[in-house]
Amino acid sequence: MTKMTRTAAVLLALVASLALVACGGSDNEASETTVPAGEAGTTIVIRNGEPVGGIQDLTYNAGDQIQFTVRSDVTSEVHVHGYDVMKDVEAGGAVSFSFPAEIEGIFEVELEDTKTQIAELTVNP
Amino acid sequence: MNPLPLLPVAHALVARKDLPIPVWLFAWGASLVLIVSFFALSAGWRTPRFEKERWRPLGSGISGALTSAPVQLLCGAVGVFLLGLAIYAGLDGTEAPDRNFALTFLFVTCWLGFPLFSVFLGDVFRPFNPWRAVGRVVGGAFSAIAGQRPAHLRYPARLGRWPAALGLVAVVWLEVVYGGSGGVAVGLSPQTAGTAALVYSLYTLAMMAVFGAEEWCETGEVFSVYFGMFSQLGAFGMKDGRLGRRLPLAASTSWATVPGSAAVVIASIATTSFDGAQEGALKGGITQVFEWLADAGFSLITALRLTDTIFMLLCVAGISLVYLIGVRGMATVRGAPPLAKLRSGFAHTLIPIAFAYLVAHYFSLFVFQEQAQFTYLLSDPLGTATTDLFGTASGGIDFKILSANAIWYVQVGALVIGHVVGLTLAHDRATAYWGDYRQAARSQYWMLAVMVAFTCFGLYLLSVANS
Repeated sequence: MTKMTRTAAVLLALVASLALVACGGSDNEASETTVPAGEAGTTIVIRNGEPVGGIQDLTYNAGDQIQFTVRSDVTSEVHVHGYDVMKDVEAGGAVSFSFPAEIEGIFEVELEDTKTQIAELTVNP
Repeated sequence: MNPLPLLPVAHALVARKDLPIPVWLFAWGASLVLIVSFFALSAGWRTPRFEKERWRPLGSGISGALTSAPVQLLCGAVGVFLLGLAIYAGLDGTEAPDRNFALTFLFVTCWLGFPLFSVFLGDVFRPFNPWRAVGRVVGGAFSAIAGQRPAHLRYPARLGRWPAALGLVAVVWLEVVYGGSGGVAVGLSPQTAGTAALVYSLYTLAMMAVFGAEEWCETGEVFSVYFGMFSQLGAFGMKDGRLGRRLPLAASTSWATVPGSAAVVIASIATTSFDGAQEGALKGGITQVFEWLADAGFSLITALRLTDTIFMLLCVAGISLVYLIGVRGMATVRGAPPLAKLRSGFAHTLIPIAFAYLVAHYFSLFVFQEQAQFTYLLSDPLGTATTDLFGTASGGIDFKILSANAIWYVQVGALVIGHVVGLTLAHDRATAYWGDYRQAARSQYWMLAVMVAFTCFGLYLLSVANS
């Protein structure tokens, strides 16, 4: 290989890696804007069997205590997938969850009866 | 008004999704890929090393035992039994996808497990292939009764592996497009999976009757061709009815001589990309087109399936385009063989990339779901909650056995290793095609660009997965 092509290859590699790092960086900033749940925990309100404001984000770090409340106008069972925590909620009532964040990953929180996703639980390492 | 929350998209089985890889790991992975690639360019060898697979027979005892008629019959019977069980469980078992044997067995244990074992060992699917087993027994019985070999139509050589390439896209389409948009968050129903397996069995047996079992397995039978593709990298292979060891990777160099082989490996990379991207990189575009189609009057399910189909085909087109540009580029290098020869001649170099994509996207699913396979799905395949064949029905999945960090390292490690192996095969093929080593190295700028594009695209998909 000539010296020129070798230099060209190095330059190409540098440009490509810079481009990759740059575009990777911009993607991450968007995902870190999620507000972490406070001490008392978030409340997810269910109206007509749907989460008000769309699917809610619950973000924790491993080792945190996951705390949130579901207030619903329909009777159903709330199911946190992966952790497999299930609790019933009466129409017009509320149910609170509190359990340690020990599994890392992204999990659905669902109204089991209608298979409606109400929240996405993210546990970062 | 956003109709998407009404129509959650989810895999049937996935109770846990992977976190996107962090930026620092993405940057390290991409940099490593580029550095490795640069060294590959400057420190390449000058004579091909993988063109001959250097097959040597195993001891006749082992080979004879493993390929004896009773063992072949037994393996075939196991295959037929398990396929039958999957179809039965799918049609008659519980509607809950995660409690039904059919989905996990077909789409995780077999669909992901056979590539894994094939890559290291060789073609482990062949002896267990239920349709081949049935085809051979029926063919044998016919010969014994009629006193002559069954007459088959000649398989049109030009068709090559194209039926398998189309079939591969169809299988993934069924799993992630049709199943992924069932209207409720359960994905593909066990009944659909069971019906599909039944229909595919009838189709396969019919084709085997027309063209012959072995011929159809070589070219048209989706699973034989797909798993067989990965098995070309493995260390063991059959020759003239004997089992032998061979140089790992080397058998792949003659794999793509059958037309349509490039389409099979491209379909594999593209469909995995789509599945990895649909809840990450492509999510915005999918939502846009979906809303547009829904506004145009399509029902929500039709709009979603149509959208996903369009994007899956776009993935196939995109991956094909990148590969074909690389091939075109190589053709401009002095002393290049004809375009058609280049097109098929470098297809096998993408097999390691295809495998790396599978590991990157399904590694955690496989590890978690196999726990279900060997506990409750084994003891209670129909999901009746009253059966406990082996006393493991109350078992479950322990999601704590893999940390997010462990998954990330496996994902990025697989992509980097796949990249290196792909480059190795491409460089080796170039030294075989171009007598002059300088021209060979020059041709490899193009394949290098193709591989860097695929690997960095794979890393990018991981970095925005599920986010």
